[in-house]
Amino acid sequence: MRYQSQRVAYWFFATCMALLSLQIIYGFIMAFAHAGYDVLHNVIPFHAARATHTNLLIMWLLSGFMGAAYYIIPEEVEREIYWPKLAYAQLVALVVVGVTAIIGFHFNWWEGRKFLEIPRPLDYLVVLDVLLFVANIGMTVLRGRRKTTTALVLYFGLLSMALLYLPGMIPTSNQTIDSYLRWWVVHLWVEGVWELIMGGILSFLLIKLTGIDREVVEKWLYVIVGLTFLSGILGTGHHYYYIGTPKYWFWVGGIFGALEPLAFLGMAIYAVSMARRGGRDHPNRIAMLWTVGCSIMSFVGGGFLGFAHTLPQVNLYTHGTLVTAMHAHMAFWGAYAMLVLAIISYAMPQLTGRKLYDKPAALLAFWASNIGMVAMTLAFAVAGVTQVYLERKVGLDFLAVQKEIEIHFVGLILAASLFTLGIACFIYNFVLYGLPVGVVAIDGREVPLAVAPAE
Amino acid sequence: MLSKSAARAFFLVGTATCSAALIGLTVDSFARIPGQTHAEKITPAVARGKDLWDSSNCMGCHTLLGEGAYYAPELTRVYDRRGPAFIRAMLRDPEKMYPGQRKMKNFHFKESEIDDLVEFLEWIGKMDLNGFPPKPDLVPLAVPMTAGTAFVAKAGNRPQIFNQMCIACHSLGGQGGNVGPALDLVGDRHDAEYIGRWLYDPLAVKVDSKMPKLPLSKDQIQELVAFLSQLKSEAKP
Ligand code: HEC
Ligand code: HEC
Ligand code: HEM
Ligand code: HEM
Ligand SMILES: [Fe+2]
Repeated sequence: MRYQSQRVAYWFFATCMALLSLQIIYGFIMAFAHAGYDVLHNVIPFHAARATHTNLLIMWLLSGFMGAAYYIIPEEVEREIYWPKLAYAQLVALVVVGVTAIIGFHFNWWEGRKFLEIPRPLDYLVVLDVLLFVANIGMTVLRGRRKTTTALVLYFGLLSMALLYLPGMIPTSNQTIDSYLRWWVVHLWVEGVWELIMGGILSFLLIKLTGIDREVVEKWLYVIVGLTFLSGILGTGHHYYYIGTPKYWFWVGGIFGALEPLAFLGMAIYAVSMARRGGRDHPNRIAMLWTVGCSIMSFVGGGFLGFAHTLPQVNLYTHGTLVTAMHAHMAFWGAYAMLVLAIISYAMPQLTGRKLYDKPAALLAFWASNIGMVAMTLAFAVAGVTQVYLERKVGLDFLAVQKEIEIHFVGLILAASLFTLGIACFIYNFVLYGLPVGVVAIDGREVPLAVAPAE
Repeated sequence: MLSKSAARAFFLVGTATCSAALIGLTVDSFARIPGQTHAEKITPAVARGKDLWDSSNCMGCHTLLGEGAYYAPELTRVYDRRGPAFIRAMLRDPEKMYPGQRKMKNFHFKESEIDDLVEFLEWIGKMDLNGFPPKPDLVPLAVPMTAGTAFVAKAGNRPQIFNQMCIACHSLGGQGGNVGPALDLVGDRHDAEYIGRWLYDPLAVKVDSKMPKLPLSKDQIQELVAFLSQLKSEAKP
């Protein structure tokens, strides 16, 4: 850490930990309901649990991206954050809006569009908050001493994320148009601009952790985000097969959707080969593990499992079944959850001055959560494929099929317990790190901690 | 070797081209969607129904057009599958329609709101969705395997109301729900008179019956009685 204002990142990361814990609790509520124990129905009916689970996910990832940007951008452009106080205010606002939304869900206050359940008045506040954040980062970049590709890619990813939220707010009474525009948010986020954010954060981590020449890393960064947009933008078509849209989307979505895994494959090859080539043996190995792990798991969850149902012939049968839930978990975990956990693992020693990365808990966190998530994905996969076969091929009744697959949700709960153990270790470690210190006094001068010992 | 500026050019040109193509295709799609979805049939009632659909977050349990949650049945074709009377009964009191099953929330809708939701689901049901949901293509195999009896009722000779309403809870020939008993050979167990009384009001026949009194007209009951009472073992060819 070289700039004092970077410390605000800690509070964004702490918010991540809190929201992630809550998200997991709601995941369990749903898993139990699927397994036949919908005991909380009168207090937290399934749709409230679900909206809370997914919105908490989006919120903690957003908070993680913001924290990452506040940490990375000052170091990249070599100056303090332009409005450091605004960063704190903006975090508080995000949390207040988020918590209001979540409480509202439990009282039937929502918009009822998957992933965009936050009620309209709060939508405006979210957009405003993200725009303030983007402005703050933007001013920092603009007034920075240098403009690196990593900083620019990250910045434009964040800016486009805020702008793409807007099409989702256009009112319409046609369900098809509603759904069409919803994908401009959901798809163009996770298979578009978020990959820019991912590319930016990964290349920052790779530069720091491997010491590879910036020019090399950033050149490939362009190639990868180029591939992302080349496939991902028109790949939106893989959601336009069966919602009342013209048939030519079979071709557009089929072809470009099938190309999307290339971007994730590129990301994985890029991270692994940079890690191999890197000369410097950075002591924070656990951060390296999360970084490379993220690139590989995002390919498995997004690229491989995404490809499994992206062709129209397959999607006809899997569309809107638990197969989608299988893909969604692994993809969100591999690409974005692991990304945030990677930057946290890297930043914590720098922010707090404590080097806890050799602790067994840190290693256990990585392996338990990843093995747990793979097992969860398998449980969803078996349930999903069975559902597709019995309901869509054999033609059994929905509820009869759900009875057949209840047992796989018991499996899901077991797998999720292992996963939760991993996350608990991660949070335990996070708490051990303590609060950010950031500065030490040397000769009566305040010097950022990371700079002090080296000088 | 590829230079950094060439890599940047690849990124910029690719992104610009694809974005332009997406916008072009979107303009074209928006011109065609109203035809394909029969947008002229979006009456004020349908629009109100959609608002209710959204503000109740039905998608938090159900899928519609294949989008939503995976906890409750896909509702795109529910209007054809169950018919308006069943849907109305379901929205009035979900617990009564599927006793002891996975729970749907009771929203305590007003009758006018139920009408709006039914109109909304009717409009959805008429859309051209390029073949979704798929027709189960292994059914002909499954029916003889699971039916167990020689009598296999063909969908064609069943009263429509039976396929919509009764099949939600009862199976016949291995197809249908499992809330109530299978109705294969029900004619052996009960005569026409009993079935008629039963359908008029199950609770009058058996006070603790789990089968609700369904919104059936006299004609529909007669048709059902005629159909059910001939489901006997003598019907074997
Ligand atoms: C808490 C979850 C939940 C919510 C919210 C919910 N449903 Fe349901 N719904 C179910 C379940 C589960 C079933 C399957 C029958 C059962 O077990 O009760 C069902 C069944 C139905 C059926 C009958 C489907 C069939 O094939 O028999 C209709 C119609 C229906 N729901 C409409 C709605 C509408 C309209 C809304 C929103 C106003 C809604 N549901 C909200 C859970 C839910
Ligand atoms: C909401 C679920 C439900 C629906 C819908 C339903 N039933 Fe039933 N039905 C039941 C249950 C549960 C029983 C068992 C009642 C009992 O014994 O308490 C039953 C029993 C019966 C019986 C007696 C069967 C026997 O073997 O004793 C007949 C006949 C019958 N239903 C016919 C129908 C017909 C015809 C329809 C369509 C109009 C229909 N049911 C719709 C739930 C339902
Ligand atoms: C890391 C990136 C990705 C994430 C986080 C992700 C996440 C998701 C989520 C959450 C859904 C459900 C959306 C909804 O129903 O509202 C979904 C659906 C889908 N995804 Fe992905 N995805 C990713 C990458 C991909 C890729 C690369 C492909 C294609 C190769 C793909 C193909 C699909 C398809 C076809 C669906 C629709 C499923 C259906 O019809 O029900 N995804 N994805
Ligand atoms: C303990 C862990 C977890 C459990 C038990 C769990 C369980 C579930 C269940 C049961 C659903 C609902 C599926 C349905 O609609 O029927 C769901 C949805 C979802 N969960 Fe989780 N979850 C857990 C953790 C996570 C994590 C860590 C992530 C992200 C990294 C995540 C992302 C999602 C997403 C994106 C959806 C929506 C899926 C879709 O619509 O296709 N979950 N989860
Ligand atoms: Fe997609």
